Amino acid sequence: MIVACHNSQINVTDGSSTCLPALSAPMAYNKVAFPPAFFLKGTLFFPCEPDRGLVRVHELTPEKAGQLIWVRARIHTSRAKGKQCFLVLRQQQFNVQALVAVGERASKQMVKFAANINKESIVDVEAVVKKVEQTIESCSQQDVELHIERIFVVSQAEPRLPLQLEDCVRPEGEGDEVRMRARALGPRTTTSQAIFRLQSGVCQLFRDTLTNKGFVEIQTPKIISAASEGGANVFTVSYFKTSAYLAQSPQLYKQMCICADFDKVFCVGPVFRAEDSNTHRHLTEFVGLDIELAFNYHYHEVIESITDTMVQIFKGLRDKFQTEIQTVGKQYPSEPFKFLEPTLRLEYSEGVAMLREAGVEMGDEEDLSTPNEKLLGRLVKEKYDTDFYVLDKYPLAVRPFYTMPDPNDKKYSNSYDMFMRGEEILSGAQRIHDAQLLTERAMHHNIDLEKIKSYIDSFRYGAPPHGGGGIGLERVCMLYLGLHNVRQTSMFPRDPKRLTP
Amino acid sequence: MPMYQVKPVFGDDIKTDLPTCMYKLPNIHAQRSASGCSEHALQNGTEVDPAFRDLEVRQDKIMRRLYELKAAVDGLAKTVTTPDADLDQTVTSLSQSPTATSFRGTADLDSLLGKDLGALRDIVINANPARPPLTLLVLHAMLCQRYRVLSSVHVHSSVSGVPAQLLACLGPRHADSYVRQRFQLGFTLIWKDVSKLQMKFSIQNMCPIEGEANVARFLFRLVAPYPSDPALATLVDSWVDTAFFQLAEGSAKERSAVLRALNGALGRDPWLAGPELSLADIACYCCVLQTGPAASCPANVQRWLKACENLGHFGPANPLLQ
Repeated sequence: MIVACHNSQINVTDGSSTCLPALSAPMAYNKVAFPPAFFLKGTLFFPCEPDRGLVRVHELTPEKAGQLIWVRARIHTSRAKGKQCFLVLRQQQFNVQALVAVGERASKQMVKFAANINKESIVDVEAVVKKVEQTIESCSQQDVELHIERIFVVSQAEPRLPLQLEDCVRPEGEGDEVRMRARALGPRTTTSQAIFRLQSGVCQLFRDTLTNKGFVEIQTPKIISAASEGGANVFTVSYFKTSAYLAQSPQLYKQMCICADFDKVFCVGPVFRAEDSNTHRHLTEFVGLDIELAFNYHYHEVIESITDTMVQIFKGLRDKFQTEIQTVGKQYPSEPFKFLEPTLRLEYSEGVAMLREAGVEMGDEEDLSTPNEKLLGRLVKEKYDTDFYVLDKYPLAVRPFYTMPDPNDKKYSNSYDMFMRGEEILSGAQRIHDAQLLTERAMHHNIDLEKIKSYIDSFRYGAPPHGGGGIGLERVCMLYLGLHNVRQTSMFPRDPKRLTP
Repeated sequence: MPMYQVKPVFGDDIKTDLPTCMYKLPNIHAQRSASGCSEHALQNGTEVDPAFRDLEVRQDKIMRRLYELKAAVDGLAKTVTTPDADLDQTVTSLSQSPTATSFRGTADLDSLLGKDLGALRDIVINANPARPPLTLLVLHAMLCQRYRVLSSVHVHSSVSGVPAQLLACLGPRHADSYVRQRFQLGFTLIWKDVSKLQMKFSIQNMCPIEGEANVARFLFRLVAPYPSDPALATLVDSWVDTAFFQLAEGSAKERSAVLRALNGALGRDPWLAGPELSLADIACYCCVLQTGPAASCPANVQRWLKACENLGHFGPANPLLQ
């Protein structure tokens, strides 16, 4: 157990303490007699206190009024006023007001000591829980207050912090740069805690939902020999005497697993895209949640499976993470996320007609530009009141070579995109499972057949019809919460200008 | 060892005089005959007289004929009391075949809803699961008989759960539903936490329509035009409003007043407005049955309710009325 004294440095690991000469003999400022200290090999040792049960800040409720408890938390703010010092103690998303007052339990020096502890230091506090009549608006625990009897510093923070945490909690975007750099500090805010807990929830719900549907989780290699989809946006790494690439997507390996009769697979892993776009929604490295499954009669079975997974994730977030959503909403207010079950599915031609009705001119086979996607999202929201929908039957000309064409209409393909709040989160399709057709489509797109020989070979030995798609974890979280920059949902973001921390 | 013998106390040859006015039962301890002839043929345990057996067979045949005749007469009675019905719809299949409905004059979708720009013309209705819109379900069934309608039911995220019969209220999924382009009209019902029923169709040109009565008027015009005679059209409108405002949402006094008015009107004419079934009858039927069981209504109203049912349009509403 660590014991601290006023103006001393504490070594947490071995409990020894080097006390600088103080105004009086080293003693904790309380009336309880200190256990006798003794010398051992020249260092001053205090024997350990018996184990204290530390109470979590979010458990401090009026039921505990009158109890004497121990709490370990950070000093969020401190304000001294004559004979009293008000502290706000923070623990992850929760904070509580604490008071050190000159009286029979605390001396004037103790109040001064408490007021001088640096912000963000971790402290151990023994206090009595007191009920308050007026609710404390600024804290998460609004109807209790701690009256401190003993206070110790466990780990001190430097007096000058690289950024002020109050600035982190303000909605403006100027502090972004500094916030990104001090990653050991920024995520301490209640908002960031909430965002990353929600993100962890998304990953968990994704895994649970798919496992319950009978999917198998696979891990695919990230160092690959050939760039899968065109060579433009891949990172190259030196691989012994040759070079290799970082995987843009686990597409090829997911498909090989389907050909290997796994039937339904998913994988969670990093995805590397060397795109030189500095936008609010692009990262060079992000976490990809990918699904691939074989279907029986129609590729809409794939769409239903994926949309059902997404709806289960949304429902799980709505039901179990309301506290986190509200916390984020305080700093970044936004409309709650709405969706329909079963998911709304519109066809591409319908989307084009809706855009034309709204005054946009575009060709039948033209791809949707980002502003058009956003406008279509708003139109769909207006009519159906949903933030999540699927656009089916994209034109064949704008999709990659391995997309299965529509058997009824040569201009279109069996491919689909899914949108959240008007921004694309998933691009998927039925894949061509016939080696012959695949070769034809590759030649049509002028792709060098030598480079994708092993890909085509995997379909020569009986591949089932299959399809799938992949989402980005950070982007899904950002859009679910209505945030505006994907870097807010990435713990250590990577983009063309940022490589550390 | 020899046992002692007791002299018989009771003689075994006493003759009893059975009265002739009693009926005789067969011996219940006797073996039942395998052929299972009717019991009265075994009277007195005598042999079955072939004449009796023939008599029974003839009697059975006559009874069967009688039952068939009774069913036929019942069917005829229903058609006689229901104006405009060609046959008893409740006996034949209801929803599959496009039987002759009582509406004359189809409506042209393009002239009513505007030119089709290549997108499915989708009617979106947001309804509260606590108050299912029965009138609209009935109108949906009528629409399906006239056009190719793609119907879908969704649950909005503002509602946590909806009973299974509300999810299936628009009927089974169409086999062609994976190609939206093949349909003339879309009917999307979304169960949502809304205070008033709302319909959205064209967001550029139309504002949302609120209230079940108004949406019913919109949908009815797609099925058949309103009567051209303005007096009759006003009568239809006034009955629709009465149904939704006073019958569905009114106090008990207002409801009984409406039922008396209905009774009076139906005493004079078979239908509420004009010689045929109209929107007024559809709206009143749904609202009357939502407020109470049929048995508690006045006589003319009950007769009219049965006539409506016999027409067969109200099938979709029945499961939700229970």
